[in-house]
Amino acid sequence: MTNKLDMKKVKVALERKVAQTYEPVKPAMQFGFVHNNVDCIGCRACEIACKDKNGLPPGPRFRRVMYIEGGTYPEVFAYKVNMSCNHCAEPACLPTCPTGAIWKRTKDGIVDIDSTLCIGCRRCEAACPYGAPQWNPKEQIIQKCNLCVDEIDAGRKPYCVMACMMRVLDIGPIDKLWDGSFKTTAIGPHDETVRQVKNMANPELTKPSIAFVPHRKGKVK
Amino acid sequence: MSKRYAIFGFITAALIPLVALLAGCGKTGTPEQQAQEGLDSKNHLRATYDPLHFKPAIANATNEQCLACHREVLEDRVRSVSMAGVKAEDTKAWYQQLTTYKGEQDTFHRRHLETPMAKELMNLQCNTCHEGHDPREEAPGSSATAAAQDDRGFTLRKQVNPETTCLKCHGQFPGWELMRLPGTWDEVKHYFKNDCLACHVSTRTQRHQVNYLKADAIEAAAVAAKEGGHGADVCMGCHGGRAWYRIPYPYARNPWPEMPEGTPEWATDRPTHSESRFIKTEPKP
Repeated sequence: MTNKLDMKKVKVALERKVAQTYEPVKPAMQFGFVHNNVDCIGCRACEIACKDKNGLPPGPRFRRVMYIEGGTYPEVFAYKVNMSCNHCAEPACLPTCPTGAIWKRTKDGIVDIDSTLCIGCRRCEAACPYGAPQWNPKEQIIQKCNLCVDEIDAGRKPYCVMACMMRVLDIGPIDKLWDGSFKTTAIGPHDETVRQVKNMANPELTKPSIAFVPHRKGKVK
Repeated sequence: MSKRYAIFGFITAALIPLVALLAGCGKTGTPEQQAQEGLDSKNHLRATYDPLHFKPAIANATNEQCLACHREVLEDRVRSVSMAGVKAEDTKAWYQQLTTYKGEQDTFHRRHLETPMAKELMNLQCNTCHEGHDPREEAPGSSATAAAQDDRGFTLRKQVNPETTCLKCHGQFPGWELMRLPGTWDEVKHYFKNDCLACHVSTRTQRHQVNYLKADAIEAAAVAAKEGGHGADVCMGCHGGRAWYRIPYPYARNPWPEMPEGTPEWATDRPTHSESRFIKTEPKP
């Protein structure tokens, strides 16, 4: 004999639970990007490949190569920082989404988005410290990098990585990228990777899965 | 040698007008329309480099001045139905099911500027978050007109620094260990009848004294909620309830009346005052 459930009570209990619960997903393995700030020539092939793959109109850029220049003669410097979505360990965009359009994969930590569920409230865009969610003004929706999840599932690398002629952009298990044990052309024999470069938002906010080979002027003391 | 240069010069001289002509051929519309487009383009550039977008003018910019051009900030609304057919009114995030969350789905900016609760409790202005910078800069301090290198007004890819803005209300519950609570608020709240004012009626009473909040209204809302038996729900609206980020904001510690002199251990590394731009100033007589 089964007890008859009081559906009103169940609904109230469910609402209370939903209203109080947000636990970040803990993936079995976390993919992340690595970028060599020094050897990148800023050709933006990665940006274009990304726009091509995702059919993006003018405006939204999932990936952005930033030219950092400064100093006064003769102490001048220039280097590039290249970022897309950092597929954070604890992403800020995810809990803000009212329609559940954003989620994090448990097998590899990719933060994916189904933009067909997006209602264009732009909360994720504001919450992300790294500018990853991009506003598509034509469609009135948010879109973002999903690490070319279809390519990953097919055993290949994302378009941006494949387009990088200098081989300074790559992906890999982020723990191995941080401790230097992952073999990649993006990290030179004597290079050490860091989690943050100068002017980047505090990684403690969301724990972004990205590693950089920093320029000497881009190191955070 | 000189003959070769002469030929090169001739080719260049002939090519430049040809390229210019071809470029002109690509344009559409009448000459009047082209002129108007050129004028619009110049106006856009002029607006982009308006002093209002730069420090120090932006610090005194009013919302009306900003919204005169950036009208979409308040005019844009959410889609009533997503592309896949999800109705905005039918979907609510977990934080939108709290008792303190009211109203329909709306955009991020409207939620912070236009909704009744935002107007009741906050006094957010455009320049509370947007501190302005040279549009040519991709990182602070990298243009000739840049502010100081240590400026934290914006970060890579963002015109706003979430650590100095959003984190104030969307950080973790600040330091339950520091408050010597035996557990997180969720674990211990029933001991305190879910009421922050059970303790904070006498400790840390100098609060919300910044110009982007309405301190009196916040106190009134907290007291009203306490009487309704859900006092902490109101406080947690900002202090950890919707914590998008994994760290708490290091709020400035202003000693409350009758507090012993000196800095207590738990406040060792805390700032002793809010950012100068947020400190309340008395209106001049």
